[in-house]
Amino acid sequence: MNAPTTSLAGAPSPWQRLTRTLGRTWGLLRRQRKAMAGGLIVLLFIVAAVFAPLLAPYSPTEQNFTDAMQGPSAAHWMGTDSFGQDILSRVFYGARSALWIGFASVALGLVVGVAVGLLAGLRGGRTEWLLMRVVDGLLAFPELIMAMAFMAVLGLGMNNVILALALSFVGPFARTVRADVLQVKARPFIEAARLMAVPEREIVLRHVLPNIVSPILIQAGMRVSIAILLASGLSFLGLGVVPPTPDWGLMIAEGRGFISMAPWMAGMPGLALATLLIGLNLLAEGLRDALDPKTRGDQA
Amino acid sequence: MAFTSQRLGAASWWRSLGALAQTALVLLVVSGVSFLFLKLSPGDPVAIMLGSDFSRDSYDQLYRQLGLDQPWIQQYAHWLWRFVQGDWGMSYVSKQDIFEQAVLEALPVTLTLAALSLLVALVVGIPLGVVAAVKRNSWADLLASAVAIGGNAFPSFYLGVVLIWLFSVALGWFPSMGYVSPWDEPLTGLWHLALPALTLGAWYVGLIATVTRSSLLEVLEQPYMAAARARGEPGWRVIWVHGMRNVLMPLVTVIGLQLGGMLRGAVMTEVVFTLPGLGMMITSAVQTREYLVVQAGIMITALLFIAVNLIVDRTYALLDPRLRQR
Amino acid sequence: MSPASLQVEHLTLRRKGVAVLDNVSLELPAGQTLALIGESGAGKSTLAYAAMGLVRPPEVALEGRLMVGDVDVVSAPERVLRPLRGVRMGMIFQDASAALNPCYTVLDHLSEPLKRHRGLNKAQCRSRAIELLTSVGIADPEGRLAAFPHELSGGMQQRVMIAMALACEPQLLIADEPTSALDVTIQAQIMALLLERVRALGASAIFVLHDLALATQVADRVAVMYAGQIVEEGPAGEVLNHPRHPYTQGLRASAIEFDAERLQPIAGVVPPLSAMPGGCRFAPRCALATERCREQQPLITARGPVRVACWNA
Repeated sequence: MNAPTTSLAGAPSPWQRLTRTLGRTWGLLRRQRKAMAGGLIVLLFIVAAVFAPLLAPYSPTEQNFTDAMQGPSAAHWMGTDSFGQDILSRVFYGARSALWIGFASVALGLVVGVAVGLLAGLRGGRTEWLLMRVVDGLLAFPELIMAMAFMAVLGLGMNNVILALALSFVGPFARTVRADVLQVKARPFIEAARLMAVPEREIVLRHVLPNIVSPILIQAGMRVSIAILLASGLSFLGLGVVPPTPDWGLMIAEGRGFISMAPWMAGMPGLALATLLIGLNLLAEGLRDALDPKTRGDQA
Repeated sequence: MAFTSQRLGAASWWRSLGALAQTALVLLVVSGVSFLFLKLSPGDPVAIMLGSDFSRDSYDQLYRQLGLDQPWIQQYAHWLWRFVQGDWGMSYVSKQDIFEQAVLEALPVTLTLAALSLLVALVVGIPLGVVAAVKRNSWADLLASAVAIGGNAFPSFYLGVVLIWLFSVALGWFPSMGYVSPWDEPLTGLWHLALPALTLGAWYVGLIATVTRSSLLEVLEQPYMAAARARGEPGWRVIWVHGMRNVLMPLVTVIGLQLGGMLRGAVMTEVVFTLPGLGMMITSAVQTREYLVVQAGIMITALLFIAVNLIVDRTYALLDPRLRQR
Repeated sequence: MSPASLQVEHLTLRRKGVAVLDNVSLELPAGQTLALIGESGAGKSTLAYAAMGLVRPPEVALEGRLMVGDVDVVSAPERVLRPLRGVRMGMIFQDASAALNPCYTVLDHLSEPLKRHRGLNKAQCRSRAIELLTSVGIADPEGRLAAFPHELSGGMQQRVMIAMALACEPQLLIADEPTSALDVTIQAQIMALLLERVRALGASAIFVLHDLALATQVADRVAVMYAGQIVEEGPAGEVLNHPRHPYTQGLRASAIEFDAERLQPIAGVVPPLSAMPGGCRFAPRCALATERCREQQPLITARGPVRVACWNA
């Protein structure tokens, strides 16, 4: 896909290559219905999250017992919960914590995972074998279970959730990055560069890294929805974010207890969560289809 | 012929040994992580055991007795030795032997739930995928895509709550909590497991339908399908005997790969429906700071994961003759 | 067992609106062999598949008649055709390694048509399978029964394919480029085997080939196809030694085996199916093309024992 270049005059700089790849990706993306639909949904949520203080009609923690457990009405579009808090406002603020946790944990896990995967893939030999066995061991723990264990050690709260999730993602990222590095290493132009006596460091920086950026980003994109799912799950189990922080998982857990009397308490935040996840999945799938040479040019 | 199989037998023996060494190392890492977890968890086990009033001396005594003054490597070895013998400690809360609680009581529940859910997913997902592949762009194709996207995105715990509201509260058809073992009382047990199995299975259905559809689409293009038709085999037989046989491998692969997701879903489903399985056990243990129980829980899940992966690997050779012997 | 005849009358096959076969007419008397020649994409394989009844609506639109014996494959419903497949007409595919199901053994493959069409039980299937494998020249047939396709060499796979196709003694055998996927060294062997079996069975046969020289050796009649149409058709000796259509002449000249002093390719390429020229389809590449050729599609006329579609023949 990217023509390999060494230190020849007139070769595009890494920055130029990046902008070119991004531009090309955008062009491909635009033709994918899935990605556009997903992207729109995600954008809406991001707007809701960023502008929550402006958009929310009430403060998310404003309690009002006289209005408690009301169904959707003109005053409260999504109804109120058992404390009289406006659910719509809480859903807006919940978007904040969900998106923040999602992106932060993936970013953190990405950095460490990529480092480990790069090390394993590039070094090869015994280092690789050892590292990958450790990663295999880590991967034997399902992500949720591992996150739960981390929360047990670290304690509750949003920052710990981010940390716990990030740590659970190191394994999967390391494995994918290593596989990508191995794939790139096997390509003929790497061998050609070596034969031309290009120094190893330059091979890594100019040839290997740019070629693994897109698969990594796609992986990261897909992980965000998993992260949000896990974070909400942890909060649902009571092992994540602590009340009174508005969090969809917490709200669903609360709503579970009142399901017969006030189904909207769990229903509304759940819908929001499901919609965001669907949007993220569509976007990630669209991104993958756009960049996969086999399905390129396909409509949705 | 006999000579070659002998030679190949020796080669595969070596490979099994290598695979065993790999698994052993992974198990080592897993146990190491679990041990580390225990050591890092907050709380002082000695203080907890001694209760509220204790003297410095009794503290030191118990400390030495528990071997907490030894270097970590030694403690790890002791712990590992006890672990493989089934001595997993005692739960403070339930005063029950943890091994009993985890392996004999909680594990079967989770396994039953998982098996049932997988069954539901296969029974619904495979035909859906087949129809979607055979009749492209039909309603089945759209349904399969919708289910795939939806099933993957709808978190199990939310779906569980929705199903409870729909089938338990609104319609009153199924119970919303509690567990009765289907091995003891089949009908009541299944009745209680209906909603949980549906919840957990829903997540898998989309996946299975998608994989079945895409694999079958590829298989349908293969010449051996046309060849079977050319021999006069009826359409349904061509699809199910010739086609699906070749779809089994990618299907099994995917099911194995997504096992982690299934366990995650199981945890949440158990909490939503209050089923006394591993998920419920670990969750309440974390909440009550029962670190020994949590540790037992994570060890079991990891071991389960590894065991199932090994089984899936062995199944490959069974399914695809091209992988045998070579 | 009486061989079946093939009669194709004005057969047009459209896939997604494009005519892959255009007004094809052909006749093969019972007991004779026909070689279908042409480049890739000319429609030869499609015609072969159509004769088996394997291309049907709704994937394609069919017009005309295709008679195999007394059954019109175009109009007959599936339940009439299915019992005929393997029994009246049998097919041998090009790539035997892909036409055999990798998950089933040789015995499984051979038993399938035997059970379905002849109702044999396991023991009978086994002995008949051994018979069949011996008849196609496989040594140690008993040992091969439990083998999977990937354990056999290319030549052996093709022999198994032939055995499968002949299992129920079809009256019309259709072989779609039976040796193209094989090593040159075995091609002659397999071809000879196929011919011998067809003769022994007394069946009619259609060989889809792209090799002219091979056609001379195996066929009684030859039909040349270009861009979905038949351009020349007649007894093998006539068509190949005295070709009347410029395309056939070009094929002959570009074949290496014929005493040519140097390779003479036919200039140009086959036009895509969606963009066929109005008049004669070969006109853009033909040295003899006139105005009339470019405007009117030539009708098939008889020139002695041969039928040709050319204004200049």
